[in-house]
Amino acid sequence: MKKSVRIIALILALATVFALVGCGKQTGGEGETQDTTLAEGQTFAPIPADKIKIGVVHITSKDDTSGYTYAHQKGIEEMAAALGLKSEQIVIRDNVDDNDVEATKAALQDLVDAGCDVIFATSYNYMDAVEEYAEKYPDIIFSHCSGYKSNGKNFNNYFGRIYEARYLSGIAAGLKAKELGVPIVGFVGAKGSDNSEVTGGINAFALGVQSVYPECEVLVKITGEWYDPAAEGIAAKALIDAGAVVLSQHCDSDTVQTTAAQAGRFGVGYNSDMTPSAPNNHLTAPIWNWGVYYTQTVEAIIKGEWKCENYYEGYNVNLVGLSPLNEKAIAHGTKEAVEEAQKKIASGELFVFSGPLYDNQGNQILKEGEKLTDEQITGEINYYIKGVRVL
Amino acid sequence: MTNTTYAIELKNICKNFGSVAANKNVSLNVKYGEILALLGENGSGKTTLMNMLSGIYHPDSGEIWIDGKHTVINSPKDSFKLKIGMIHQHFKLVDVFTAAENIIMGTEGFVGSSKKAAEKIKEIADGFGFSIDPNKKVYDMSVGEKQTVEIIKVLYRGARILILDEPTAVLTPQETEKLFKVLDNMRKDGCAIIIITHKLNEVMAISDRVTVLRKGETVATVDTKTTDIRKLTELMVGRPVELKIDRPETERSAEPMFFVKDLCVRNEEDVFALKNVSFELYGGEILGVAGVAGSGQRELCETIAGLMQAESGEITYKGENILHKSPAEIIDLGISMSFIPEDRLGMGLVASMDIADNMLLKSYKKSKGLVINRKPSRELAEKLVKRLEIVTPSIKTPVSRLSGGNVQKVLIGREIESNPNILITAYPVRGLDINSSFTIYNLLNEQKAKGVAVLYIGEDLDVILELCDRVMVLCHGEVMGIVDPRKVTKEDIGLMMLGNKLEKEGGAENE
Amino acid sequence: MSNGSKVSTGREPLIRIVKREYNNKLIPGLIRAGALILSIIAGGLFIWAMGFNPFEAYKSIIRGALVGSARDPMSSIRSTIDIFVPLCVTALGLSCAFKMKFWNIGGEGQIIMGGVFATFFALNYPQIPRPLMLLIMLIAGAVGGALMALIPALFKVKFGTNETLFTLMLNYIAIYIVKYLIAGPWQRTPGFASIGKLDKNTYLYEINRQNIGWIAVIIVVLFVYFYLYKTKSGYEVSVVGESQATARYAGMNIRKIIIKTMLISGAICGIVGMIKVSSNHTLTEGIGGGVGFAAITVAWLSQLNPFIIPIVSAIISILQKGSTVMQMNMGISSYAADVLQGIILFCFLGSEFFVRYSLVFNLRIKEAK
Repeated sequence: MKKSVRIIALILALATVFALVGCGKQTGGEGETQDTTLAEGQTFAPIPADKIKIGVVHITSKDDTSGYTYAHQKGIEEMAAALGLKSEQIVIRDNVDDNDVEATKAALQDLVDAGCDVIFATSYNYMDAVEEYAEKYPDIIFSHCSGYKSNGKNFNNYFGRIYEARYLSGIAAGLKAKELGVPIVGFVGAKGSDNSEVTGGINAFALGVQSVYPECEVLVKITGEWYDPAAEGIAAKALIDAGAVVLSQHCDSDTVQTTAAQAGRFGVGYNSDMTPSAPNNHLTAPIWNWGVYYTQTVEAIIKGEWKCENYYEGYNVNLVGLSPLNEKAIAHGTKEAVEEAQKKIASGELFVFSGPLYDNQGNQILKEGEKLTDEQITGEINYYIKGVRVL
Repeated sequence: MTNTTYAIELKNICKNFGSVAANKNVSLNVKYGEILALLGENGSGKTTLMNMLSGIYHPDSGEIWIDGKHTVINSPKDSFKLKIGMIHQHFKLVDVFTAAENIIMGTEGFVGSSKKAAEKIKEIADGFGFSIDPNKKVYDMSVGEKQTVEIIKVLYRGARILILDEPTAVLTPQETEKLFKVLDNMRKDGCAIIIITHKLNEVMAISDRVTVLRKGETVATVDTKTTDIRKLTELMVGRPVELKIDRPETERSAEPMFFVKDLCVRNEEDVFALKNVSFELYGGEILGVAGVAGSGQRELCETIAGLMQAESGEITYKGENILHKSPAEIIDLGISMSFIPEDRLGMGLVASMDIADNMLLKSYKKSKGLVINRKPSRELAEKLVKRLEIVTPSIKTPVSRLSGGNVQKVLIGREIESNPNILITAYPVRGLDINSSFTIYNLLNEQKAKGVAVLYIGEDLDVILELCDRVMVLCHGEVMGIVDPRKVTKEDIGLMMLGNKLEKEGGAENE
Repeated sequence: MSNGSKVSTGREPLIRIVKREYNNKLIPGLIRAGALILSIIAGGLFIWAMGFNPFEAYKSIIRGALVGSARDPMSSIRSTIDIFVPLCVTALGLSCAFKMKFWNIGGEGQIIMGGVFATFFALNYPQIPRPLMLLIMLIAGAVGGALMALIPALFKVKFGTNETLFTLMLNYIAIYIVKYLIAGPWQRTPGFASIGKLDKNTYLYEINRQNIGWIAVIIVVLFVYFYLYKTKSGYEVSVVGESQATARYAGMNIRKIIIKTMLISGAICGIVGMIKVSSNHTLTEGIGGGVGFAAITVAWLSQLNPFIIPIVSAIISILQKGSTVMQMNMGISSYAADVLQGIILFCFLGSEFFVRYSLVFNLRIKEAK
């Protein structure tokens, strides 16, 4: 009796597996015939605005009320509003762990299956999976945020000169520290020096701080995760204990801001205006206006004018910016100093990563008159500049 | 219904566990100033019934009346409020506390008033004739003393209805006598007492009335004066039973088959469980081992079987010292020794496996290659089921589903099938009904007749005296003496169990 | 001795718990079927309470897991199989240890180390031809997982350490080893914590665009069944799991059995790591993906039966894949989708209680009053 049950179970299990494979055989061919190869630089056919379907992969929840995903989601919503798209035309897969390739690929597959014409993948570690999918589905446009890869056909990357805004936020932080008379500011980073984006951001912030308060030190604590509120809180506490009076961050929750406020310290947020989280202590936050990129890109796709080019803009198109300065918290004269620097950046007069530049080991990175290239900024900053110390 | 108020009256109590009816329409009553014996074989539902009185279980149907009132007992606390005190088989005492601390623990005024408590304890002890030292720690006590503490504990809390679950199982004859004296005093004082037992002579000795349970049902309630052991047995078993255990005279081997010399063993707590134990075992005899529970019986068996490491000494089998050898090595030496452990389902068998797979336990290594050949074990299982009349739906039934007697038949059957030269049995009839017990005695006698050396660890002195050819008495891990059961009385052995060494002259070791 | 006023001791309990016993398998089957229906109803109510149409949602789950899109009808099933294979194989691996009552909570770590070992060869010897490479990676993966499982087994045997905590903690060590490797010695591009894409000859073969990882399921199911139920070693595992005293009594070498079984359990989990690396084409710190933990549930729901494990794994994979699609299509929060999965699992796990016990309602309560 028992044995027969086992055998039946085995047969069922095998049958299921073979059935699946069998089905695959019949239909696999169709899938392949649909694959059309596109030549490099070829444009895509126009898609009517009421037919286009847009897929988005987010690392945390689309319902977040602040932080990285919130900024992207806000951008997507602005785009949808600007172009008059209906909500069914936007398909979102959120909470997709970017360290889990399998989950990433599953999410991309879901979006492909949902019939998306363009897929935006917003987190760095999605990159390799997106590259693979772009190859697999050449008729779909894949646009990946914050990476460095593209294939010149249907896969580009987009990012912005957020370091410009970080530099400006550094001015606000430096002035506040100066007003308090304590030459220590802190920075909670999600990733260590192996990540150029975070490391470059810390350096830009430090340069902003030093431009108004040269003797001020920037202490850094790394959490290792983009989003880990508990670790962010612990890191913030460690920096507070080390004496930091202003805490900045490159991580996704607002825990650093709330922790700083509880300890009576000040903060510079990221991604979105975090003043609601710390009404009396939050100075300002470097923010993204992703709507600029999304609207421009989707509009181009609808018109059939999309070209596979990497996108890397900043203050020039208002892709980055600072959230409104919080009058309750900022030091006297912050507004003027920030505005002045902002004008110089927008006009190109001020380039953040210009020589002479030294790292904190005493090596000279740039000589007088030299500048970092965009490639260096996006992928090769694996050092901290002078005045930065990792705890 | 008379107008007497009963201390306890149970009316048509039913209790099922799954499909098994543990109690079916059980009715009994007991008055104040009376001792009722609740008699029944293992598995007849005595303990279940009493657990309902102490609030551990709840009857499926039926009524419990206490002091003439219909009551519901939902927890041991309720039962305590009703002045019911239960003395369980397994004592519930804190080892590192003194007697007095254990007694007053959990009562009101536990803290501070120890002087008053000591007085009250003394008062109770004197009143009923207990001997107790309130300041003695429990770990220093003998089993009898621990039981005394348990009884005083419930009396201290004001119990007037006492239920004792197999109270004599762990006592020596002398201790039993003492206990009965105390119970008699309590009866005179007006307590109502229920004593659960399956020992008939005790029923005759102490009770006023007997309620007999069989398979969960009340068979009869009789006045002790008007009955006798034979009638009670018949009621209990359901048919007339021959109560005499055979002791066939067989030829004992000329040379001992097996020596144990100066064996010392430490137990898990690093205390000596066996001290300088020496004896020899001949082929064709049953050597009984008597002793109060925990006198080193388990350690003796497990050391011989190679499951426990000895500190020093010798175990010699056919000139080979097998001490410090693992069971596997012992088997490799070609020594065929079978061990029926006390814990049948926890050691001798695998509870969740069926009979056939349990047969494999000792023989699976013999199949060649990686794969197990289950055919011989299945055949063996079928054979045993037939030969030993094991009651089971099939050989595919997990042994945990079988009754105690059938479990033991599976275990002994397997061991006997390996044709042992030495058979070590630890409490082989514990928990078995009379029928199964006699099957086991017969099997052991059969082995003896085949020339096997049998070591029989037992708890019922009557059985040991009737079954065994020689009896070794252990006390605190030491051999008190080896006697001929035909020439000694139960009381003689009882004295030895309490630590009185046999004087050489009176020794009956040599026939 | 009667003290009338105090005799009252409360009412009879309304519900009592009673252990069940069966002679057939119909009732447990019915209970489980009932749990399935109940879970669907409860989940539906939840979806409905969230303001969505439960029928749409369930349709979306089934379609999402099994029916692909117009452009690629098999894509959904492929994704479901990709979830199914690691879950099922890991559960099979864990079940070997569980059968011995060795609580191997370290499946995650064993998968990771299997992946790390396999990646070592994939990264350092890309010139090896594909079939040989895959074979080497498979062996390396098994060895990696086995070694990871060997550590707690040795400690258990030598020092009697608690394997539950030990294996759990090793998971974190494994994760940090991967983090170190991909940001350190194995980093491909400076500034980015990634080993990049592996060479093409380390990829699993594909049949109809489905990687052949599912073959592992068939092989491992048969292996685990054969090992546990047909071999001497499997018999020993069962005995040790039931009672170490019995195993000692039977003259078994318990230490050897524990170590051997954990090596097998770890090796099977390690193979999952290899499959993941070889089908993901890279190694990331998320390689475990929580499979090592989910597989524990699968193993127990299947009652360690190697033929039931694939079925339970399939149900959970369908649920997992389907609910992501449902969430995406209907715009339900992904947290809500997790809650739905939780409700369904809860009903399933809860039903096991009712399989073992039944509740008896006291109908006489008024009468007693």
